[in-house]
Amino acid sequence: MKDILKVRNLTKHFGGILAVNDLSFEIKEGETLGFIGPNGAGKSTVVNMLSGLIPADKGVVELDGIDITHKKPYERARLGLARTYQIPRPFPELTALASVTVSALCGKKRKNQSFEDAAVEATHYLEFVGLFSKRNILARDLTFYELRMLELARALATTPKILFIDEVMAGLNPGEANRAVRLIAKAKEQFGLTIFWIEHVMAVLVEAADRIVAIHYGSKLAEGTPDEVVNNDAVVEAYLGRGWKEYA
Amino acid sequence: MKGGQGKKVAGMETLIHYLEHILIYGFVLGAIYLLISLGFSLICGVLRIFHLGYAYIFPVTVYGAWMFMKELGWGLFPSLVGMVIIQFILAWIIYKGIVKRYLEREEIQLTGLLLVALIVEQVANYFYPVQEAVYLNTTLRDGTLTIGSVVIPWQLLLGGVVSIIMTGLFILFFLKTKEGMAVRAISQNIYTSEIVGINVEVLYVFIMMLVLLPVIIGMLLVAPIWNVEPGMGWLYQTTAILVAVLGGLGNIKGTILASFLIGITHAIMCFVLGEPRFMNLSALVLVMVILIIRPQGLARSESIW
Amino acid sequence: MVDIELKRERIVIRYKDKKWDWILEPRYWRNAILWTLVLLIFPAVCYFVSPGLINTMINANIYAAIAIPLGLMTIGTGRMNFGPNFYIGVGGYTAALLSIAYGWGPLMTLPFAIFFTLVSALIFSPLVIIARGLYYVLLTLLLPLVFLEVTFIYSDTFKGDTGLFGIVPLVDTGNAKINFLLVAYLSLAIMIGYLWVINKVLKSRYGLIMATINDDEDVAHGIGVNINKVKIISFVAAAGMIGVMGWFYAHYFSSFAGITYLPLTFMLKILLVMMIGGRAQIFGCVVGGYFVAFLETLLIRHLGPIQPIVFPVILMIFLFALPEGLFGIWRKRRYREYLPTLHVRR
Repeated sequence: MKDILKVRNLTKHFGGILAVNDLSFEIKEGETLGFIGPNGAGKSTVVNMLSGLIPADKGVVELDGIDITHKKPYERARLGLARTYQIPRPFPELTALASVTVSALCGKKRKNQSFEDAAVEATHYLEFVGLFSKRNILARDLTFYELRMLELARALATTPKILFIDEVMAGLNPGEANRAVRLIAKAKEQFGLTIFWIEHVMAVLVEAADRIVAIHYGSKLAEGTPDEVVNNDAVVEAYLGRGWKEYA
Repeated sequence: MKGGQGKKVAGMETLIHYLEHILIYGFVLGAIYLLISLGFSLICGVLRIFHLGYAYIFPVTVYGAWMFMKELGWGLFPSLVGMVIIQFILAWIIYKGIVKRYLEREEIQLTGLLLVALIVEQVANYFYPVQEAVYLNTTLRDGTLTIGSVVIPWQLLLGGVVSIIMTGLFILFFLKTKEGMAVRAISQNIYTSEIVGINVEVLYVFIMMLVLLPVIIGMLLVAPIWNVEPGMGWLYQTTAILVAVLGGLGNIKGTILASFLIGITHAIMCFVLGEPRFMNLSALVLVMVILIIRPQGLARSESIW
Repeated sequence: MVDIELKRERIVIRYKDKKWDWILEPRYWRNAILWTLVLLIFPAVCYFVSPGLINTMINANIYAAIAIPLGLMTIGTGRMNFGPNFYIGVGGYTAALLSIAYGWGPLMTLPFAIFFTLVSALIFSPLVIIARGLYYVLLTLLLPLVFLEVTFIYSDTFKGDTGLFGIVPLVDTGNAKINFLLVAYLSLAIMIGYLWVINKVLKSRYGLIMATINDDEDVAHGIGVNINKVKIISFVAAAGMIGVMGWFYAHYFSSFAGITYLPLTFMLKILLVMMIGGRAQIFGCVVGGYFVAFLETLLIRHLGPIQPIVFPVILMIFLFALPEGLFGIWRKRRYREYLPTLHVRR
């Protein structure tokens, strides 16, 4: 299985603080890689660097063989990298349909696509996440769960190869959380995605992830199958806590 | 050999001549720009209000005092007191009527503030057009002082000293007093400040009035020597904008550095290159160049100090 | 090559591998046609009833024609430009200087005015990428003022206070009143042209992309929008359109002085046209333009020397009193229509 995303020696300083320290890992095509770590470990910084929002100080990032380390965010999106945001960032004055239409229009170079065609394609994605009936509601009037679904639809409409999911469980009640997990699994199967999942809710990752990378203070703490990582002493010490199995 | 030596000495003399002028006039101009720009930088950086109507303060200072002197026949000092009171009232009205109501709709806030400055200019122009030859005798000390090869009016020099003292007082206020600390908190986060018990509203009004003082003093110092006309506010506001943008809005250290940088630039323009017409243009070019290198201005941090 | 298909209610245009739909909905044309007819008849009526009003109408059209591209620039760059009159200065001085130096007529100076405006906009376009929020506001505010200073510094070329005289007029039929009428129709044509083109752009996919940039730049960047390209293109194109109005002013008055257009007073008028009319809704700009122009004429005629005070006061009252602008009185916003928010702070 080939590597979809290869990260080598990723480093980032913020003033005097070393936020990300020489991080390296790969993500294979079709797998779900979990990304865990305590707050302040540098997870958001890593995601922002990989998606292009902030530049990396050192390191190489390769997407499907192409070096994207110095590419702008929109170039990465067109090459197949999509992300959702930890706190949903919709386009407040646009309807749900309009938001996803923009993704469909700009997310990839498409031939013979008019504005209407893009809107029709957007409705498919909205229907997939269950927002078809809300397609004409402005984004600022949607509920929190619907906003998360909108983010997902917007990311899927760019037809990515790899999808970064940033703490999608945060703020969802158990019913919504279940639906979200099942939807992501369905998306992965239906669209053939690779998933990079940053999450705090370990129960979800233990079920859904093929491998997990754990980081602490910007460096890699452990890497392996969920069972391996969850039983790793360093991870338990730094992040999970010794009694986590009772509370999971 | 002798001729060569003579040229070298002459070259050194010119250099010293230039340096003296740059240093002394750069200091004096920079100090006066500091007085004028400190208020603008603080309002924009601390209160997060883009006070584009700042220009109104300058004509109100001069024409307000003149109005008391001419219409009511008051002496200089009572007129100044009356003018300061009017300034405070105006600042309060502007805060209540425009700033507070449109904290969320900033485009309306900005346009409203600009309109205020325009209306003030037109009112001043209507009652006291340029021909009235308004003159405020706020000279602290007449005559000039000669330092080395530099001839500088006493008024400007004393103005520079006053400016340094005032800025020092401001810094002490923000660093050492409880109210100053509260203002620094507000500049970081209004909501959090309210939660910890800071009366944001009162402090907002207080700051809006406090920053009037250096501006008024600066204006009174230069009124006798620089020209007075209804449209004068815009020129000073341009300088204040350039200084504030260059220094980083709301940062006192940055504003100090920026005002002296621009003062020195102006001094170089006037006395070394001999082209006083290019003063504002050169300052703008300097600001743009530095902004390309360092988009957030010269300030090292986003805080007041 | 370009391939055009005519289907039942749309025209499909294909070029290489791109495709555009132009949907024709005649039921929406009724209002536009009615208002255009009213505007077309108005100068002819004034010609016989009160020729002075033609002047006001020309002013109104010009104000609207400056505010409409300004609205495009605001949405496309996501920031508010507080110094659009800088481009009027560039366009106007180019036309004036060329016309006086070489005796060129308006048609010859037009391409040069457009060219120099585009070049100057391109030079300052990095502002749109680097500067955010207040810095952008302040720097764009300063540009026209500094330009004004430059015209005073080089007053042998720019003739400082008095301005340049003797520019070839726009039309010359010999009869002054007919000249006015033709200039009025020309200004109307320009304004309606801008309105139609920019409306089409804003309702198309490009308008939607600009809307995303206006709402949240970074997120738009992340979903594949080349924000720098879109921002620079909207900035430069809108600046070019504004520069044309400078050209118009120069040839209309046969004179051009920076002191009339570059200071803050003129910029405020344009800004207020945009805001009183309806907050970056471009149809509102037309309403705003007519309102401001007619108010100005009314006040000058009846109030005399107190007009410079009363005019901004009245504008301020309208600015505060009408949250949706004048256009909002006529047409309440439809829910899913994109109402651009004017962003000043970032």
